Amino acid sequence: MSPPPDRSAYAARQAQLLDALLRGDGYPEGFVAAKADAAGRSLRRKRGRLVAHAWPALALALGEFFDERFDTFAREVDAPASGDPHEDGLAFARRIMRDGVQLSDDARVELLLTRAALRRRGVFLRVARLRRPYPRVLVVVRLPLAGALHRSFSLRRRAR
Amino acid sequence: METTRSITRLGQGAGWRPQIDGALARADGLGFIEVIAEDVGAEGLPDGVAAALRRGLQVVPHGVSLSLGGAQRPDPARLAHLASVAERVGAPLVSEHIAFVRADGRESGHLLPVPRTHEALEILCENVAIAQEALPVPLALEHVATLVEWPGAEMDEANFVRALIERTGALLLLDLSNLFANAHNHGYDAYESLARFPLDRIAYVHVGGGTFRDGVYHDTHAHPVVDGVLHLVEGLFALTDAPGVLLERDDDFPPEDEMNAELAAIADAVRRGSAHRVAAA
Repeated sequence: MSPPPDRSAYAARQAQLLDALLRGDGYPEGFVAAKADAAGRSLRRKRGRLVAHAWPALALALGEFFDERFDTFAREVDAPASGDPHEDGLAFARRIMRDGVQLSDDARVELLLTRAALRRRGVFLRVARLRRPYPRVLVVVRLPLAGALHRSFSLRRRAR
Repeated sequence: METTRSITRLGQGAGWRPQIDGALARADGLGFIEVIAEDVGAEGLPDGVAAALRRGLQVVPHGVSLSLGGAQRPDPARLAHLASVAERVGAPLVSEHIAFVRADGRESGHLLPVPRTHEALEILCENVAIAQEALPVPLALEHVATLVEWPGAEMDEANFVRALIERTGALLLLDLSNLFANAHNHGYDAYESLARFPLDRIAYVHVGGGTFRDGVYHDTHAHPVVDGVLHLVEGLFALTDAPGVLLERDDDFPPEDEMNAELAAIADAVRRGSAHRVAAA
């Protein structure tokens, strides 16, 4: 009679593989690196597709650079525990802004609205000056009980 | 244990997604839809799924998060949810994957393969037994496409799946796109492998699209079904009469007439294969 299977050793091997695939590095012995690279890229790309669906303006703003930038981000930062692509996209947007990427107005609006919507407690207030679709000041506020609200104030001179 | 005769006849099917709800409602000749169990809430059903039930279609809940191939035993809450969805839709069976999706508290976000070893098979059989105990209907298991393989395999995929199905009494969700992908990417003959799967235990068949990139085949479910997969459909039905064939699409949804053309192409492949089988009998 063979001994019962060792679930904890099995768990360790799976954790090791998953970690290496997510990082894109450090594959355990015996894995073919080229195939593991492809598998890891596929994992990160799938995650990126979910974020692009949740943040279309961000994806559009980054265009052909979205995939590469997201892949770099994904190798360092795990998806949020909630699995929510909005949260994931927020973390990604913050990272690329920190890296100096200028977002389009549409992407900035998306960012502010999502940040307000994701807040669960307290007050959130941000003001942004935008050019599109017309010169305006966007005020985004999240209040307890009221939720997230936004209002644009035009900066165009009124025609007389 | 289900005998071949008592496996429910399903006919032609399509994966239900809200984006193609209208197109599916208008499609001719569908016998069933498959619904991702995790996309159904704790109560009720998406309108399109309820409507499909009213039109007389069968609904098969398809789980993606049980991680039956993982080291942990399946989560009772996830099992309860899958069971609940099965009851709500009056499902003839449910399906899940021969894969793991989490390890050390981290989600993979994707179905990852299990090592094809006797030890992994033991753990998988235990997990499947736990799942079967918790479910009110038969469980079908789907093998997955993978770009990377574990070293030290003690069996090939056909033998591993056969052993798993025989030991657990589970049904088989035969995914011809996954078979095509793995055979292409890992260098073996898809037809030779297909013949050694437990074909008498098929609950239904998956057919999905994919694309070649730099010589590697990617099972994307976001592209048309490639000819090689349609040939496998024909090849399968030349060997056996499977109870159902389901078209899967997850992204970049095609226009309605393109979807209908794909469904028709699959139905044609089924007919051609069946004609060979009947002629040879």
